Amino acid sequence: MTPLITVKDLNVAYQEKPALWHVNMSIQENSRTAIVGPNGAGKSTLIKSIMKLIRPVSGKIEIEGRDARHALKRVAYVPQKGEVNWDFPATVLDVVLMGRYVHKGWIKRPNRKDESIALSALETMKMEAFKNRQISELSGGQKQRVFIARAIAQDADIYIMDEPLQGIDITTEKLIIGIMKQLQQEGKTFIVVHHHLDTVEEYFDHVVILNKTVIAEGTIGSAWRKENINRAYYEMSGSHD
Amino acid sequence: MIDILSGYTFLIVAFGTVILAFASGVIGTVSVIKGQSLIGDAIGHATFPGIVIAFMLVGIRDTFSLALGALILGIVAFFIIQLITEQSKITLDSALALVLSSFFGLGMALMSFVQGNPNFDGTQGLSDYIFGQAAYMLRSDVYLIIAASILSLLIFALFYQQIKIYIFDPIYSRSIGISNPLMNFMILAITITLIAVGLKAVGAILIVNLLIAPAVIGQLWSNRFFHVLLIAGTTGAAAAFIGTYISTAGDDIATGPAIILVLSAFVVLSLIFSRKGLLRRSIQKRKIGERT
Repeated sequence: MTPLITVKDLNVAYQEKPALWHVNMSIQENSRTAIVGPNGAGKSTLIKSIMKLIRPVSGKIEIEGRDARHALKRVAYVPQKGEVNWDFPATVLDVVLMGRYVHKGWIKRPNRKDESIALSALETMKMEAFKNRQISELSGGQKQRVFIARAIAQDADIYIMDEPLQGIDITTEKLIIGIMKQLQQEGKTFIVVHHHLDTVEEYFDHVVILNKTVIAEGTIGSAWRKENINRAYYEMSGSHD
Repeated sequence: MIDILSGYTFLIVAFGTVILAFASGVIGTVSVIKGQSLIGDAIGHATFPGIVIAFMLVGIRDTFSLALGALILGIVAFFIIQLITEQSKITLDSALALVLSSFFGLGMALMSFVQGNPNFDGTQGLSDYIFGQAAYMLRSDVYLIIAASILSLLIFALFYQQIKIYIFDPIYSRSIGISNPLMNFMILAITITLIAVGLKAVGAILIVNLLIAPAVIGQLWSNRFFHVLLIAGTTGAAAAFIGTYISTAGDDIATGPAIILVLSAFVVLSLIFSRKGLLRRSIQKRKIGERT
Protein backbone atom coordinates (compact mmCIF):
# COMPACT_ATOMS: atom_id res chain seq x y z
CA MET A 1 0.00 0.00 0.00
CA THR A 2 1.41 3.40 -0.91
CA PRO A 3 1.38 5.78 2.04
CA LEU A 4 -0.68 8.99 2.10
CA ILE A 5 2.16 11.19 3.31
CA THR A 6 5.84 10.52 2.79
CA VAL A 7 8.62 12.45 4.50
CA LYS A 8 12.00 12.02 2.82
CA ASP A 9 15.23 12.94 4.59
CA LEU A 10 13.80 16.02 6.31
CA ASN A 11 16.25 18.31 8.09
CA VAL A 12 15.06 21.36 9.99
CA ALA A 13 17.06 23.88 12.01
CA TYR A 14 16.13 26.86 14.17
CA GLN A 15 18.82 29.54 14.13
CA GLU A 16 21.40 26.97 13.13
CA LYS A 17 20.38 24.59 15.93
CA PRO A 18 19.15 21.36 14.40
CA ALA A 19 15.55 20.53 15.37
CA LEU A 20 15.01 17.50 13.15
CA TRP A 21 17.55 15.46 11.27
CA HIS A 22 17.27 12.76 8.63
CA VAL A 23 13.58 12.23 9.25
CA ASN A 24 12.21 9.49 7.00
CA MET A 25 8.70 8.33 7.70
CA SER A 26 5.29 7.81 6.25
CA ILE A 27 1.69 8.19 7.30
CA GLN A 28 -0.78 5.54 6.16
CA GLU A 29 -4.06 6.61 4.66
CA ASN A 30 -7.06 6.26 6.95
CA SER A 31 -4.88 5.79 10.02
CA ARG A 32 -4.93 7.31 13.48
CA THR A 33 -1.24 8.07 13.86
CA ALA A 34 0.21 9.35 17.12
CA ILE A 35 3.43 11.32 17.13
CA VAL A 36 5.14 10.82 20.47
CA GLY A 37 8.47 11.78 21.92
CA PRO A 38 9.99 13.69 24.84
CA ASN A 39 9.84 17.49 25.19
CA GLY A 40 11.91 19.19 22.52
CA ALA A 41 11.87 16.11 20.30
CA GLY A 42 10.58 18.16 17.37
CA LYS A 43 6.99 16.88 17.29
CA SER A 44 5.40 20.27 16.57
CA THR A 45 8.20 21.06 14.15
CA LEU A 46 7.44 17.85 12.26
CA ILE A 47 3.72 18.53 11.81
CA LYS A 48 4.40 22.16 10.89
CA SER A 49 6.85 20.94 8.28
CA ILE A 50 4.23 18.59 6.86
CA MET A 51 1.91 21.60 6.52
CA LYS A 52 4.68 23.62 4.87
CA LEU A 53 4.64 26.18 7.69
CA ILE A 54 8.37 25.75 8.21
CA ARG A 55 11.01 25.92 5.55
CA PRO A 56 13.30 22.92 6.01
CA VAL A 57 17.04 22.95 5.42
CA SER A 58 16.51 20.01 3.11
CA GLY A 59 14.13 17.18 2.47
CA LYS A 60 10.84 16.48 0.77
CA ILE A 61 7.27 16.07 1.91
CA GLU A 62 4.85 14.43 -0.46
CA ILE A 63 1.13 13.87 -0.18
CA GLU A 64 0.05 11.10 -2.54
CA GLY A 65 3.29 11.42 -4.45
CA ARG A 66 3.05 15.17 -5.10
CA ASP A 67 4.64 18.04 -3.22
CA ALA A 68 2.57 18.74 -0.08
CA ARG A 69 2.01 22.32 -1.25
CA HIS A 70 -0.62 21.08 -3.73
CA ALA A 71 -2.71 19.37 -1.09
CA LEU A 72 -2.89 21.92 1.72
CA LYS A 73 -6.62 22.41 1.26
CA ARG A 74 -7.14 18.78 2.19
CA VAL A 75 -5.40 19.33 5.51
CA ALA A 76 -7.22 20.71 8.56
CA TYR A 77 -5.01 21.96 11.36
CA VAL A 78 -6.08 22.01 15.00
CA PRO A 79 -3.73 24.39 16.83
CA GLN A 80 -2.42 24.28 20.36
CA LYS A 81 -4.58 26.50 22.53
CA GLY A 82 -1.75 28.92 23.21
CA GLU A 83 -1.22 29.71 19.55
CA VAL A 84 -4.28 31.86 18.98
CA ASN A 85 -5.04 35.45 19.96
CA TRP A 86 -7.59 35.23 22.79
CA ASP A 87 -8.17 39.00 22.74
CA PHE A 88 -9.85 38.61 19.39
CA PRO A 89 -13.56 39.42 19.60
CA ALA A 90 -15.29 36.39 18.09
CA THR A 91 -18.12 34.04 18.91
CA VAL A 92 -17.86 30.26 18.75
CA LEU A 93 -19.79 30.25 15.46
CA ASP A 94 -17.43 32.88 13.95
CA VAL A 95 -14.46 30.63 14.66
CA VAL A 96 -16.08 27.54 13.17
CA LEU A 97 -17.09 29.53 10.08
CA MET A 98 -13.39 30.28 9.48
CA GLY A 99 -13.13 26.63 8.47
CA ARG A 100 -15.32 27.38 5.45
CA TYR A 101 -12.83 29.90 4.07
CA VAL A 102 -10.98 27.35 1.93
CA HIS A 103 -14.21 26.63 0.05
CA LYS A 104 -15.16 30.27 -0.45
CA GLY A 105 -12.32 31.75 -2.39
CA TRP A 106 -11.20 35.26 -1.97
CA ILE A 107 -13.97 37.74 -1.34
CA LYS A 108 -17.09 35.65 -0.87
CA ARG A 109 -18.58 35.74 2.59
CA PRO A 110 -19.94 32.61 4.25
CA ASN A 111 -23.58 32.03 3.31
CA ARG A 112 -26.46 30.12 4.87
CA LYS A 113 -25.14 26.79 3.64
CA ASP A 114 -21.78 27.43 5.29
CA GLU A 115 -23.58 28.38 8.46
CA SER A 116 -25.56 25.15 8.53
CA ILE A 117 -22.36 23.15 7.93
CA ALA A 118 -20.71 25.03 10.82
CA LEU A 119 -23.72 24.43 13.09
CA SER A 120 -23.76 20.73 12.37
CA ALA A 121 -20.01 20.57 13.12
CA LEU A 122 -20.77 22.23 16.46
CA GLU A 123 -23.50 19.68 17.05
CA THR A 124 -21.04 16.86 16.41
CA MET A 125 -18.79 18.33 19.08
CA LYS A 126 -21.78 18.92 21.42
CA MET A 127 -21.18 22.65 21.42
CA GLU A 128 -24.25 23.99 19.60
CA ALA A 129 -25.60 25.57 22.79
CA PHE A 130 -22.47 27.74 22.92
CA LYS A 131 -22.60 29.09 19.38
CA ASN A 132 -23.01 32.72 20.43
CA ARG A 133 -20.59 32.54 23.32
CA GLN A 134 -17.43 34.66 23.26
CA ILE A 135 -14.58 32.24 22.46
CA SER A 136 -12.34 33.51 25.29
CA GLU A 137 -15.00 32.68 27.89
CA LEU A 138 -14.83 28.94 27.20
CA SER A 139 -13.00 26.32 29.24
CA GLY A 140 -9.95 24.55 27.84
CA GLY A 141 -11.92 21.50 26.76
CA GLN A 142 -14.63 23.62 25.13
CA LYS A 143 -12.03 25.63 23.21
CA GLN A 144 -10.55 22.40 21.90
CA ARG A 145 -13.98 21.20 20.80
CA VAL A 146 -14.49 24.43 18.87
CA PHE A 147 -11.19 24.03 17.03
CA ILE A 148 -12.09 20.47 16.08
CA ALA A 149 -15.52 21.68 14.93
CA ARG A 150 -13.70 24.19 12.71
CA ALA A 151 -11.63 21.36 11.24
CA ILE A 152 -14.80 19.33 10.62
CA ALA A 153 -16.45 22.35 8.94
CA GLN A 154 -13.40 22.62 6.70
CA ASP A 155 -14.33 19.18 5.39
CA ALA A 156 -10.71 18.12 4.99
CA ASP A 157 -9.60 14.52 4.81
CA ILE A 158 -6.36 14.86 6.75
CA TYR A 159 -6.53 16.16 10.33
CA ILE A 160 -3.34 17.39 11.93
CA MET A 161 -3.66 18.11 15.65
CA ASP A 162 -1.08 19.51 18.05
CA GLU A 163 -1.69 18.03 21.50
CA PRO A 164 -5.49 18.19 21.35
CA LEU A 165 -5.83 16.32 24.65
CA GLN A 166 -3.58 18.67 26.62
CA GLY A 167 -5.30 20.32 29.59
CA ILE A 168 -8.86 19.21 28.86
CA ASP A 169 -11.53 17.38 30.85
CA ILE A 170 -12.03 13.62 30.57
CA THR A 171 -15.48 13.99 28.92
CA THR A 172 -13.97 16.05 26.11
CA GLU A 173 -11.10 13.58 25.77
CA LYS A 174 -13.52 10.67 25.31
CA LEU A 175 -15.62 12.74 22.89
CA ILE A 176 -12.61 13.68 20.76
CA ILE A 177 -11.40 10.08 20.56
CA GLY A 178 -14.93 8.91 19.69
CA ILE A 179 -15.21 11.49 16.89
CA MET A 180 -11.77 10.52 15.65
CA LYS A 181 -12.77 6.86 15.37
CA GLN A 182 -16.07 7.79 13.73
CA LEU A 183 -14.39 10.04 11.14
CA GLN A 184 -11.83 7.30 10.47
CA GLN A 185 -14.76 5.09 9.43
CA GLU A 186 -15.60 7.81 6.90
CA GLY A 187 -12.11 7.61 5.43
CA LYS A 188 -10.30 10.42 7.24
CA THR A 189 -6.69 10.32 8.41
CA PHE A 190 -5.44 11.66 11.74
CA ILE A 191 -1.97 12.81 12.70
CA VAL A 192 -1.90 13.71 16.37
CA VAL A 193 0.89 14.94 18.60
CA HIS A 194 0.28 13.02 21.80
CA HIS A 195 1.78 13.26 25.26
CA HIS A 196 0.38 10.44 27.34
CA LEU A 197 2.24 7.21 26.74
CA ASP A 198 -0.32 5.14 28.66
CA THR A 199 -3.15 5.90 26.19
CA VAL A 200 -1.27 5.48 22.90
CA GLU A 201 -2.39 1.88 22.41
CA GLU A 202 -6.00 2.63 23.26
CA TYR A 203 -6.39 5.76 21.09
CA PHE A 204 -4.23 5.11 18.02
CA ASP A 205 -3.48 2.40 15.47
CA HIS A 206 -0.16 3.80 14.19
CA VAL A 207 2.68 5.57 15.95
CA VAL A 208 5.79 7.56 15.11
CA ILE A 209 8.30 7.72 17.96
CA LEU A 210 10.43 10.79 17.54
CA ASN A 211 13.46 12.30 19.18
CA LYS A 212 15.00 14.70 16.65
CA THR A 213 14.95 11.77 14.28
CA VAL A 214 12.58 8.82 13.86
CA ILE A 215 13.24 6.14 16.48
CA ALA A 216 10.47 3.82 15.29
CA GLU A 217 7.34 3.98 13.17
CA GLY A 218 4.57 1.70 12.06
CA THR A 219 1.52 -0.01 13.49
CA ILE A 220 1.07 -0.08 17.24
CA GLY A 221 1.77 -3.82 17.14
CA SER A 222 5.11 -3.46 15.41
CA ALA A 223 6.53 -0.14 16.64
CA TRP A 224 5.09 0.49 20.09
CA ARG A 225 7.65 -1.55 22.01
CA LYS A 226 9.37 -0.90 25.27
CA GLU A 227 12.84 -0.82 23.78
CA ASN A 228 11.82 1.85 21.25
CA ILE A 229 10.16 3.98 23.94
CA ASN A 230 13.22 3.65 26.16
CA ARG A 231 15.52 4.66 23.33
CA ALA A 232 13.47 7.81 22.66
CA TYR A 233 12.87 8.86 26.23
CA TYR A 234 15.87 7.72 28.23
CA GLU A 235 18.91 6.81 26.17
CA MET A 236 18.76 9.77 23.81
CA SER A 237 17.53 12.50 26.14
CA GLY A 238 20.20 14.84 27.35
CA SER A 239 22.67 13.89 24.65
CA HIS A 240 21.57 16.69 22.31
CA ASP A 241 20.37 19.45 24.64
CA MET B 1 -23.30 78.27 14.98
CA ILE B 2 -25.57 77.59 12.04
CA ASP B 3 -23.22 79.69 9.96
CA ILE B 4 -20.33 77.39 10.65
CA LEU B 5 -22.28 74.17 10.23
CA SER B 6 -23.55 75.16 6.79
CA GLY B 7 -20.33 76.86 5.75
CA TYR B 8 -18.76 75.22 2.73
CA THR B 9 -15.28 75.23 4.23
CA PHE B 10 -16.43 73.61 7.44
CA LEU B 11 -18.38 70.94 5.61
CA ILE B 12 -15.54 69.90 3.37
CA VAL B 13 -13.00 69.94 6.22
CA ALA B 14 -15.35 68.00 8.49
CA PHE B 15 -15.98 65.45 5.75
CA GLY B 16 -12.22 64.93 5.50
CA THR B 17 -11.64 64.46 9.23
CA VAL B 18 -14.74 62.27 9.60
CA ILE B 19 -13.76 59.79 6.89
CA LEU B 20 -10.15 59.79 8.12
CA ALA B 21 -11.34 58.98 11.63
CA PHE B 22 -13.65 56.24 10.37
CA ALA B 23 -10.87 54.54 8.40
CA SER B 24 -8.39 54.99 11.29
CA GLY B 25 -10.90 53.52 13.75
CA VAL B 26 -11.35 50.43 11.59
CA ILE B 27 -7.69 49.78 10.82
CA GLY B 28 -6.62 50.81 14.33
CA THR B 29 -8.83 48.05 15.75
CA VAL B 30 -6.70 45.51 13.93
CA SER B 31 -3.49 46.93 15.45
CA VAL B 32 -4.99 47.08 18.93
CA ILE B 33 -6.20 43.45 18.81
CA LYS B 34 -2.79 42.40 17.49
CA GLY B 35 -1.25 44.20 20.47
CA GLN B 36 0.66 46.66 18.27
CA SER B 37 -0.95 49.98 19.16
CA LEU B 38 2.32 51.62 20.21
CA ILE B 39 3.88 50.97 16.80
CA GLY B 40 1.31 53.45 15.46
CA ASP B 41 2.42 55.98 18.06
CA ALA B 42 6.08 55.64 17.13
CA ILE B 43 5.31 55.91 13.43
CA GLY B 44 3.04 58.91 14.02
CA HIS B 45 5.82 60.85 15.74
CA ALA B 46 8.41 59.64 13.24
CA THR B 47 6.54 61.08 10.27
CA PHE B 48 7.03 64.67 11.47
CA PRO B 49 10.65 65.09 10.27
CA GLY B 50 9.42 63.75 6.92
CA ILE B 51 7.14 66.78 6.64
CA VAL B 52 9.98 69.21 7.39
CA ILE B 53 12.49 67.47 5.11
CA ALA B 54 9.98 67.42 2.25
CA PHE B 55 9.33 71.12 2.81
CA MET B 56 13.07 71.86 2.76
CA LEU B 57 13.44 70.01 -0.52
CA VAL B 58 10.39 71.40 -2.29
CA GLY B 59 10.38 74.88 -0.75
CA ILE B 60 6.60 75.13 -0.41
CA ARG B 61 3.99 73.32 1.69
CA ASP B 62 2.72 71.19 -1.16
CA THR B 63 0.15 68.60 -0.01
CA PHE B 64 1.49 65.62 -1.91
CA SER B 65 5.21 66.20 -1.35
CA LEU B 66 4.69 66.65 2.38
CA ALA B 67 2.51 63.55 2.67
CA LEU B 68 5.08 61.60 0.67
CA GLY B 69 7.85 62.81 2.99
CA ALA B 70 5.80 61.69 6.00
CA LEU B 71 5.09 58.33 4.39
CA ILE B 72 8.76 57.65 3.64
CA LEU B 73 9.93 58.56 7.14
CA GLY B 74 7.13 56.41 8.60
CA ILE B 75 8.40 53.43 6.62
CA VAL B 76 12.03 54.16 7.55
CA ALA B 77 11.05 54.34 11.23
CA PHE B 78 9.27 51.01 11.02
CA PHE B 79 12.26 49.29 9.46
CA ILE B 80 14.60 50.77 12.06
CA ILE B 81 12.31 49.47 14.82
CA GLN B 82 12.39 46.03 13.22
CA LEU B 83 16.14 46.13 12.76
CA ILE B 84 16.72 47.09 16.40
CA THR B 85 14.46 44.38 17.80
CA GLU B 86 15.80 41.66 15.49
CA GLN B 87 19.48 42.47 15.64
CA SER B 88 19.90 43.45 19.28
CA LYS B 89 18.58 42.50 22.68
CA ILE B 90 16.66 45.76 22.97
CA THR B 91 12.97 45.01 23.58
CA LEU B 92 10.17 46.32 21.40
CA ASP B 93 8.94 48.95 23.87
CA SER B 94 12.42 50.43 24.28
CA ALA B 95 12.96 50.41 20.52
CA LEU B 96 9.64 52.19 20.03
CA ALA B 97 10.46 54.83 22.62
CA LEU B 98 13.92 55.38 21.11
CA VAL B 99 12.67 55.77 17.56
CA LEU B 100 9.67 57.88 18.57
CA SER B 101 11.68 60.46 20.51
CA SER B 102 14.73 60.63 18.26
CA PHE B 103 12.71 61.02 15.06
CA PHE B 104 10.44 63.61 16.63
CA GLY B 105 13.48 65.41 18.04
CA LEU B 106 14.99 65.46 14.57
CA GLY B 107 11.78 67.00 13.23
CA MET B 108 11.77 69.72 15.90
CA ALA B 109 15.45 70.53 15.33
CA LEU B 110 14.97 70.77 11.57
CA MET B 111 11.90 72.94 12.06
CA SER B 112 13.75 75.45 14.27
CA PHE B 113 16.57 75.53 11.73
CA VAL B 114 14.17 76.23 8.89
CA GLN B 115 12.20 78.81 10.83
CA GLY B 116 15.34 80.77 11.66
CA ASN B 117 16.52 80.66 8.07
CA PRO B 118 15.57 83.57 5.78
CA ASN B 119 15.85 81.31 2.70
CA PHE B 120 12.63 79.54 3.62
CA ASP B 121 9.21 81.12 3.28
CA GLY B 122 5.96 80.07 4.93
CA THR B 123 7.61 78.13 7.73
CA GLN B 124 4.90 79.08 10.25
CA GLY B 125 2.50 76.47 8.87
CA LEU B 126 4.89 73.63 9.71
CA SER B 127 3.87 73.61 13.37
CA ASP B 128 0.30 72.83 12.27
CA TYR B 129 1.54 69.31 11.60
CA ILE B 130 2.43 68.80 15.26
CA PHE B 131 -1.04 69.28 16.73
CA GLY B 132 -3.17 69.50 13.62
CA GLN B 133 -5.04 72.51 12.36
CA ALA B 134 -7.96 71.39 10.24
CA ALA B 135 -9.18 74.95 9.66
CA TYR B 136 -6.06 75.71 7.62
CA MET B 137 -6.35 72.61 5.50
CA LEU B 138 -6.18 73.22 1.79
CA ARG B 139 -8.73 71.68 -0.47
CA SER B 140 -5.99 69.41 -1.82
CA ASP B 141 -5.25 68.25 1.75
CA VAL B 142 -8.86 67.19 2.16
CA TYR B 143 -9.02 65.47 -1.22
CA LEU B 144 -5.92 63.47 -0.40
CA ILE B 145 -7.40 62.41 2.94
CA ILE B 146 -10.64 61.33 1.28
CA ALA B 147 -8.87 59.38 -1.47
CA ALA B 148 -6.50 57.63 0.95
CA SER B 149 -9.26 56.78 3.43
CA ILE B 150 -11.60 55.33 0.81
CA LEU B 151 -8.78 53.33 -0.75
CA SER B 152 -7.76 51.99 2.68
CA LEU B 153 -11.30 50.93 3.50
CA LEU B 154 -11.69 49.26 0.10
CA ILE B 155 -8.51 47.23 0.50
CA PHE B 156 -9.55 46.29 4.03
CA ALA B 157 -12.99 45.16 2.84
CA LEU B 158 -11.44 43.13 0.03
CA PHE B 159 -9.17 41.21 2.41
CA TYR B 160 -11.57 41.20 5.35
CA GLN B 161 -11.93 37.40 5.66
CA GLN B 162 -8.20 36.79 5.41
CA ILE B 163 -7.29 39.56 7.85
CA LYS B 164 -9.83 38.23 10.34
CA ILE B 165 -8.44 34.68 10.28
CA TYR B 166 -4.85 35.99 10.32
CA ILE B 167 -5.29 38.09 13.47
CA PHE B 168 -7.15 35.39 15.38
CA ASP B 169 -5.07 32.37 14.43
CA PRO B 170 -1.93 33.09 12.37
CA ILE B 171 -0.77 29.48 12.18
CA TYR B 172 -4.15 28.24 10.96
CA SER B 173 -4.27 31.08 8.43
CA ARG B 174 -0.94 29.98 7.00
CA SER B 175 -2.04 26.36 7.00
CA ILE B 176 -4.92 27.22 4.67
CA GLY B 177 -2.73 29.22 2.31
CA ILE B 178 -3.22 32.81 3.48
CA SER B 179 -0.03 34.85 3.16
CA ASN B 180 0.66 36.23 6.63
CA PRO B 181 3.47 38.54 5.49
CA LEU B 182 1.13 40.05 2.89
CA MET B 183 -1.59 40.61 5.52
CA ASN B 184 0.90 42.18 7.89
CA PHE B 185 2.32 44.41 5.16
CA MET B 186 -1.14 45.55 4.12
CA ILE B 187 -2.19 46.49 7.65
CA LEU B 188 1.05 48.37 8.14
CA ALA B 189 0.93 50.14 4.77
CA ILE B 190 -2.63 51.31 5.41
CA THR B 191 -1.72 52.49 8.92
CA ILE B 192 1.29 54.52 7.73
CA THR B 193 -0.70 55.99 4.83
CA LEU B 194 -3.55 57.12 7.07
CA ILE B 195 -1.06 58.67 9.48
CA ALA B 196 0.79 60.46 6.68
CA VAL B 197 -2.32 62.03 5.14
CA GLY B 198 -3.93 62.81 8.48
CA LEU B 199 -1.05 64.79 10.02
CA LYS B 200 -2.34 68.20 8.93
CA ALA B 201 -5.75 67.47 10.42
CA VAL B 202 -4.82 65.80 13.72
CA GLY B 203 -1.07 66.26 14.16
CA ALA B 204 1.87 63.92 14.65
CA ILE B 205 1.59 63.68 18.43
CA LEU B 206 -2.08 62.82 18.74
CA ILE B 207 -2.85 60.86 15.59
CA VAL B 208 -2.25 57.55 17.37
CA ASN B 209 -5.30 58.26 19.49
CA LEU B 210 -7.45 58.10 16.36
CA LEU B 211 -6.17 54.55 15.86
CA ILE B 212 -6.43 53.32 19.46
CA ALA B 213 -9.32 55.05 21.26
CA PRO B 214 -12.09 53.96 18.84
CA ALA B 215 -10.84 50.35 19.02
CA VAL B 216 -10.94 50.44 22.81
CA ILE B 217 -14.50 51.77 22.70
CA GLY B 218 -15.56 49.14 20.16
CA GLN B 219 -14.17 46.29 22.25
CA LEU B 220 -15.99 47.57 25.33
CA TRP B 221 -19.35 47.46 23.57
CA SER B 222 -19.18 44.29 21.50
CA ASN B 223 -17.77 40.78 21.33
CA ARG B 224 -18.05 40.42 17.59
CA PHE B 225 -15.24 41.52 15.32
CA PHE B 226 -17.46 43.11 12.68
CA HIS B 227 -19.48 45.06 15.25
CA VAL B 228 -16.30 46.20 16.99
CA LEU B 229 -15.04 47.56 13.67
CA LEU B 230 -18.31 49.38 13.00
CA ILE B 231 -18.51 50.89 16.49
CA ALA B 232 -14.85 51.94 16.31
CA GLY B 233 -15.29 53.59 12.91
CA THR B 234 -18.52 55.34 13.90
CA THR B 235 -17.36 56.71 17.25
CA GLY B 236 -14.13 57.90 15.65
CA ALA B 237 -16.14 59.65 12.95
CA ALA B 238 -18.54 61.24 15.46
CA ALA B 239 -15.68 62.52 17.58
CA ALA B 240 -13.98 63.91 14.48
CA PHE B 241 -17.10 65.81 13.50
CA ILE B 242 -17.64 67.32 16.95
CA GLY B 243 -13.94 68.05 17.40
CA THR B 244 -13.64 69.73 14.02
CA TYR B 245 -16.65 71.87 14.88
CA ILE B 246 -15.20 72.93 18.24
CA SER B 247 -11.89 73.71 16.57
CA THR B 248 -13.48 75.76 13.80
CA ALA B 249 -15.87 77.62 16.09
CA GLY B 250 -13.35 78.37 18.82
CA ASP B 251 -10.43 80.72 18.32
CA ASP B 252 -7.20 78.92 17.61
CA ILE B 253 -8.13 75.61 19.18
CA ALA B 254 -6.06 72.99 17.40
CA THR B 255 -8.17 70.28 15.78
CA GLY B 256 -6.15 67.31 17.04
CA PRO B 257 -6.62 68.07 20.73
CA ALA B 258 -10.30 68.93 20.19
CA ILE B 259 -11.04 65.58 18.49
CA ILE B 260 -8.97 63.64 21.01
CA LEU B 261 -10.77 65.26 23.97
CA VAL B 262 -14.14 64.25 22.52
CA LEU B 263 -12.83 60.72 21.90
CA SER B 264 -11.46 60.54 25.44
CA ALA B 265 -14.87 61.53 26.78
CA PHE B 266 -16.37 58.66 24.74
CA VAL B 267 -13.78 56.29 26.19
CA VAL B 268 -14.58 57.34 29.76
CA LEU B 269 -18.33 56.98 29.15
CA SER B 270 -17.77 53.52 27.63
CA LEU B 271 -15.56 52.42 30.51
CA ILE B 272 -18.42 53.23 32.86
CA PHE B 273 -21.59 52.38 30.95
CA SER B 274 -20.70 49.73 28.34
CA ARG B 275 -21.61 46.05 28.67
CA LYS B 276 -18.12 45.33 29.93
CA GLY B 277 -17.98 48.62 31.86
CA LEU B 278 -17.51 49.31 35.55
CA LEU B 279 -21.17 49.99 36.29
CA ARG B 280 -22.42 46.74 34.78
CA ARG B 281 -19.65 44.79 36.47
CA SER B 282 -20.33 46.21 39.92
CA ILE B 283 -24.05 45.50 39.53
CA GLN B 284 -23.24 41.90 38.58
CA LYS B 285 -20.89 41.57 41.53
CA ARG B 286 -23.59 42.82 43.89
CA LYS B 287 -26.09 40.35 42.43
CA ILE B 288 -23.65 37.50 42.97
CA GLY B 289 -23.02 38.80 46.49
CA GLU B 290 -26.75 38.81 47.27
CA ARG B 291 -27.15 35.27 46.02
CA THR B 292 -24.41 33.83 48.18
